[in-house]
Amino acid sequence: MKDDILLTVRSVKKRFGRREVLREIELDLKSGHCLQLGGPNGAGKTTLLRILSGLERPDQGLIDCGDGRIAWKRIRRRLLEQTLYLHQQPYMFDGTVRYNLAYALPNRLSANEREERIKQAMDWAGLEPIRNTSAKELSGGERQRVSLARAWLRQPRMLMLDEPTANLDRESRRRTLNLLTSLKETGMSLVLASHDPLHLSTLIDRCLLLHEGRLVETEPFKIMPLSPSHLPSPMRFTA
Amino acid sequence: MESLSESTVNALALLFSGNAELWEIIGISFRVSFIAITVAVPPALMTAFALTYLHFPGRRLLISINSTLLSVPAVVVGLTLYILLSRQGPLGEWKLLFTQTAMVLGQIALSFPILAAMGHAALQGVDRRAWETARTLGAGPLRAFSTVIREARFGLMAALLAAFGRIIAEVGASMMLGGNILHYTRNIPTAIALETSKGEFSQGIALGIVLLVLAFTLNALLQNFQGRGHPVS
Repeated sequence: MKDDILLTVRSVKKRFGRREVLREIELDLKSGHCLQLGGPNGAGKTTLLRILSGLERPDQGLIDCGDGRIAWKRIRRRLLEQTLYLHQQPYMFDGTVRYNLAYALPNRLSANEREERIKQAMDWAGLEPIRNTSAKELSGGERQRVSLARAWLRQPRMLMLDEPTANLDRESRRRTLNLLTSLKETGMSLVLASHDPLHLSTLIDRCLLLHEGRLVETEPFKIMPLSPSHLPSPMRFTA
Repeated sequence: MESLSESTVNALALLFSGNAELWEIIGISFRVSFIAITVAVPPALMTAFALTYLHFPGRRLLISINSTLLSVPAVVVGLTLYILLSRQGPLGEWKLLFTQTAMVLGQIALSFPILAAMGHAALQGVDRRAWETARTLGAGPLRAFSTVIREARFGLMAALLAAFGRIIAEVGASMMLGGNILHYTRNIPTAIALETSKGEFSQGIALGIVLLVLAFTLNALLQNFQGRGHPVS
């Protein structure tokens, strides 16, 4: 494995019942790169991200994060150590924003170090005004910022994001993009599943499309022409 | 026979005069039930967790068996353990019948299904992303487990109170397994049953008041706990 490649995926397959979601996944993830996964709903983007995060076990194939061919149990441990998966709707633990940030810190830190790191993360993500707010009561954009601040605190080598800007307003999308850019600048590799990557274009280095269970290289941000069947039918108004 | 008002006045006098026998019965009741619930909680919690998060053969059967055990009367639990612990029974050599340990075993058997079933329901109510988020944020299985328990704490507390309420007030298993021996295995429900059968209601009412106060206190604690649920820093 080359030095700058963090993760190699070969012939990964995943099936749910009779449905083969991932057929032959081949992927190399470089350090500090951002990779966008495209594809329609149900194409397997989330499943692939979850496999790469160690949250889902593939049926077959090789995932190598630098240790070569080892048992899944050890691969999963390595993936859990090295990656962080962000759900489409980030989960907030029952507690304040501060509590949620503190969770991402290792236990070995002293109380002062913890407070310092939390303060830095709050400043980084603009969370200080909602420091003591219950995280369950946050808006979608605020939740996204808390989850990215947790990533900033944890500093994984790879960040897997499932539709990070879905259901966000323009301002929240802009802030999310800024935070993701900042994370990428720290050397973190990003893999993001997104239907609409245009507003993340400055971030993305490579676009892949999940098509029939395989990853296909695509031109970045190519806008597919719509066939007449994709257009909405004209509405009829009656008096 | 005393009138209800006389019995109640006498009951309050017994309670507040510090009647040694009465308070000894209360002490035995609490000790036995406290030990039983303490022993039952860890395996019940593990069972609830396994039923919620693990997929293994026989899982559905286990859920059905546990649900069935919920409705088994205390006397049937008492009878089963009596047969096991009696001198001719397979565990007769342990000589546990008519001891507090036998009462503890009976109460464990009664509280376990409640704790496991209500614990399972409480854990099912926690979003699965809680476990995954904990793991992906670097928590090991044990820390992720404790995180999920924390997320389900109100439901689990309700399970604990329901189970404790059931065992401290049950009479069948305690009577059969403990034998209602004064100064040793006589607890609140068996004492109430005995005093009522003798037509002496004062002590029974006094002990009943203790159970009512206990039920009220436990519920008030739960309400207070739930009311302070958000936020936690």
